[in-house]
Amino acid sequence: MEEEGRSREEPLLLAELKPGRPHQFDWKSSCETWSVAFSPDGSWFAWSQGHCIVKLIPWPLEEQFIPKGFEAKSRSSKNETKGRGSPKEKTLDCGQIVWGLAFSPWPSPPSKKLWARHHPQVPDVSCLILATGLNDGQIKIWEVQTGLLLLNLSGHQDVVRDLSFTPSGSLILVSASRDKTLRIWDLNKHGKQIQVLSGHLQWVYCCSISPDCSMLCSAAGEKSVFLWSMRSYTLIRKLEGHQSSVVSCDFSPDSALLVTASYDTNVIMWDPYTGERLRSLHHTQLNPPMDDSDVHISSLRSVCFSPEGLYLATVADDRLLRIWALELKTPIAFAPMTNGLCCTFFPHGGVIATGTRDGHVQFWTAPRVLSSLKHLCRKALRSFLTTYQVLALPIPKKMKEFLTYRTF
Amino acid sequence: GHPWCRGCGGEALIYVKLISSDGHEFIVKREHALTSETIKTMLSGPGHFAENKTNEVNFREIPSHVLSKVCMYFTYKIQYTNGSKEIPEFPIAPEIPLELLMAVNFLDC
Repeated sequence: MEEEGRSREEPLLLAELKPGRPHQFDWKSSCETWSVAFSPDGSWFAWSQGHCIVKLIPWPLEEQFIPKGFEAKSRSSKNETKGRGSPKEKTLDCGQIVWGLAFSPWPSPPSKKLWARHHPQVPDVSCLILATGLNDGQIKIWEVQTGLLLLNLSGHQDVVRDLSFTPSGSLILVSASRDKTLRIWDLNKHGKQIQVLSGHLQWVYCCSISPDCSMLCSAAGEKSVFLWSMRSYTLIRKLEGHQSSVVSCDFSPDSALLVTASYDTNVIMWDPYTGERLRSLHHTQLNPPMDDSDVHISSLRSVCFSPEGLYLATVADDRLLRIWALELKTPIAFAPMTNGLCCTFFPHGGVIATGTRDGHVQFWTAPRVLSSLKHLCRKALRSFLTTYQVLALPIPKKMKEFLTYRTF
Repeated sequence: GHPWCRGCGGEALIYVKLISSDGHEFIVKREHALTSETIKTMLSGPGHFAENKTNEVNFREIPSHVLSKVCMYFTYKIQYTNGSKEIPEFPIAPEIPLELLMAVNFLDC
């Protein structure tokens, strides 16, 4: 096994943001943080803080800029600091529970060209867009720097659970819904719905577009994972293997691997080009109960790849954040977290953000990785070569196995 | 002695010379070159006494445009290992990753 230059440390809690004042009970609001997201360039962090609100803060988070209405506990300070807010932070009131969040890649075409007709006050500079997936099926599109509501996309009949923009910056948005469909929206044409993808039999929990923009993955309650072509919007293949609802999916940064997480306590790693199952990561309890209770206690909630493609972070119902190295079968590190729902890596590495059922957001240290040159070459090659193209190369078998992630 | 290294005879040579298949000579710090397990083995193999310590390696199968990238990686690795600074991306242009991978597989780095 290669030695990657990495630190073997447990994730340390860097900071935690807790809502300061409990909100009044209201039939349409609840306090869960269903989604957290960093903008692709790492300059903003967003989370659905519950109570129908999305909070946007500039990143990195500085102590004097703890968001208003929050209390923060950081590794450096012993006391909890009350937030007074940063001049740049934004609070987006979506009017109903927010389930999904997605940032567009930056920069987008100059906003005046796109939005001027309907929003003359939008500044004439490249804009960063945030899409929010709501309880009744609506999708609200916001401009991040001004906090302006740009568009309301209608079509879904039920909760919009997840959203994904194409990484190329083409402003094509994919949404996944409890109405069992995925929809493709073109924000260049004022949010025109260009396709409905049907086929799932139960709630669609998540969607993810491969970094090379060729494939869309969707996962649903009926245990199946679908792979769609982003060029023709047709179904490529179904991936079978999970024993329960599949709730989270993510592609590796070079599009060569797909990971899916399920209530069946497993994360499966797939080759998305061939549909082959490469490995399963079992989430077993550290201290199993004496009786047969809580069989499903290690249900997965979220899985995500690290930016250099060598680690995974998972959040499970057994109150643990786990870090996995791709080539190993057991986690390399654990951190205790209660009621975790979602996780995401900071795009330049070093930090993992998690969201919880009580509306808390936490930031953890992620392993600091200096990839081997061998892995860097693999990542560069797989960013434009499919598995079949690799297999057709005039190179030794061992090299093909390395390039297709059959060996590490 | 060698004009491009400090202190011959008695002092450790801090630079080594890596020679590509097309005759380009890359002079790098010994410490950097040791990033490659293969180079490490080649430079400290048996039969090398202190005075005759090898300070150059010929790579008959690695062309200069690949070897230069390898040397850049050495610098990158030494600079960012064991630090706390954010590690930036190491760029690899789309024309070279396959050739680079072949060389890297041999060099083990």
